[in-house]
Amino acid sequence: MDDGGGAPMISSLAPVVGTVDAAPVLQSVGITPIEIALFVFVLLTAIMTALFRDVLAGIVIFAAYSLGLALIYTFYRAPDVGLTEAAIGAGVTTVFLLLTIAKTTRPPTDRLFAPISWPAVAVCGGFALVVGSTLTAFPAVGDPMSPILQNSEVTGYYLANAYDETGVKNAVTAVLAAYRGFDTFGEAIVVFAAGVASLLVLNREVFTHE
Amino acid sequence: MSDDRDSSRLDGDGVLRQRPVYTESQVIMTTVKAVIPFVMTYGLYITFHGADTPGGGFQGGAIIASVFLMIAFAFGIESTRAWLSNTVVVGLGSAGVLAFAAIGFGPVVLGGNFLDYTAYYPVFGSVLGLKEYEFVKYGMEGVEILGIAFIVSGILMGLFFALAAGYSAEVEETVATSGDPRDGADSARLEEPND
Repeated sequence: MDDGGGAPMISSLAPVVGTVDAAPVLQSVGITPIEIALFVFVLLTAIMTALFRDVLAGIVIFAAYSLGLALIYTFYRAPDVGLTEAAIGAGVTTVFLLLTIAKTTRPPTDRLFAPISWPAVAVCGGFALVVGSTLTAFPAVGDPMSPILQNSEVTGYYLANAYDETGVKNAVTAVLAAYRGFDTFGEAIVVFAAGVASLLVLNREVFTHE
Repeated sequence: MSDDRDSSRLDGDGVLRQRPVYTESQVIMTTVKAVIPFVMTYGLYITFHGADTPGGGFQGGAIIASVFLMIAFAFGIESTRAWLSNTVVVGLGSAGVLAFAAIGFGPVVLGGNFLDYTAYYPVFGSVLGLKEYEFVKYGMEGVEILGIAFIVSGILMGLFFALAAGYSAEVEETVATSGDPRDGADSARLEEPND
């Protein structure tokens, strides 16, 4: 978090450390045109990924979907998640999926779209309805009265003490490498294990050559 | 997608024929040559500056690995695979795990808890001339850079070349036996499905 990005975080933290009554009245700006455009883009690319008949087109649109998600994360002040989504989701995953085309066959396409499987639509639609029904229970983005800011023994402690205790300005790094370092160690081992497992599955002893 | 391109690439079985995996392109090679220094710098910046700005070892390691993926796409997977030694790839991943474990278990040896960076202070504080909180900061930087970035960049590179290897080896065989690498690769693929 640089100095410019740090200021809003402190102001949103004010209701937590100060008294709630003294907090300034925050006016919701509603949903902005940028958000609407991003959400429409992500929804459209997600649907097109499922519908396109050609595998290559599906992979390219899936990369665009990941890029849209990365922009949404960045827009909601989660640049670390956005960077990960852009590097892994839009970048490396796309390359790996393209490799699968090179190693398998790409069926001939006369039609632009795949035939729609209505049972699949029913399952996905039902799932979307169940998940969507919880949307009304969420607080507004940045709402100071939201549970995460009202009962912030854990998150409030990180935001208030991370710089003094660790000396790093990015609170996300402080949580990942210091407060929750044991979890990160496990995750790093999982990545290493994935490499070993891929060699086992592919029945190889080396990644590149001797 | 034009019809003539599709029909020219359909064979008798109705399977779309694959182009050879590598086509030497002056445009792609020149573009990648120009872009690589910037992407590499960006990846290193994300890694080394992750403590104070968004990013960190995981994102930076992925960007650094993508540099080598770009090289493979521009200059051919097979020649890049021959150039990139397996020792480097495995060494990056293993060194990352060992560094992370060493930094993590060091405090345990010194009588503290796992990853409790402040346990280094009484032992090395006067030697290195660092304050107590600086051990936390540099310990975290060590975990992010020497641990996570090494593991992620090494394993992502390794996964890519391990997955790409089967196909490239097949092309290599057929190139050796047939005059036209493109037809040879295609017919070998169609007659002998992979595995």
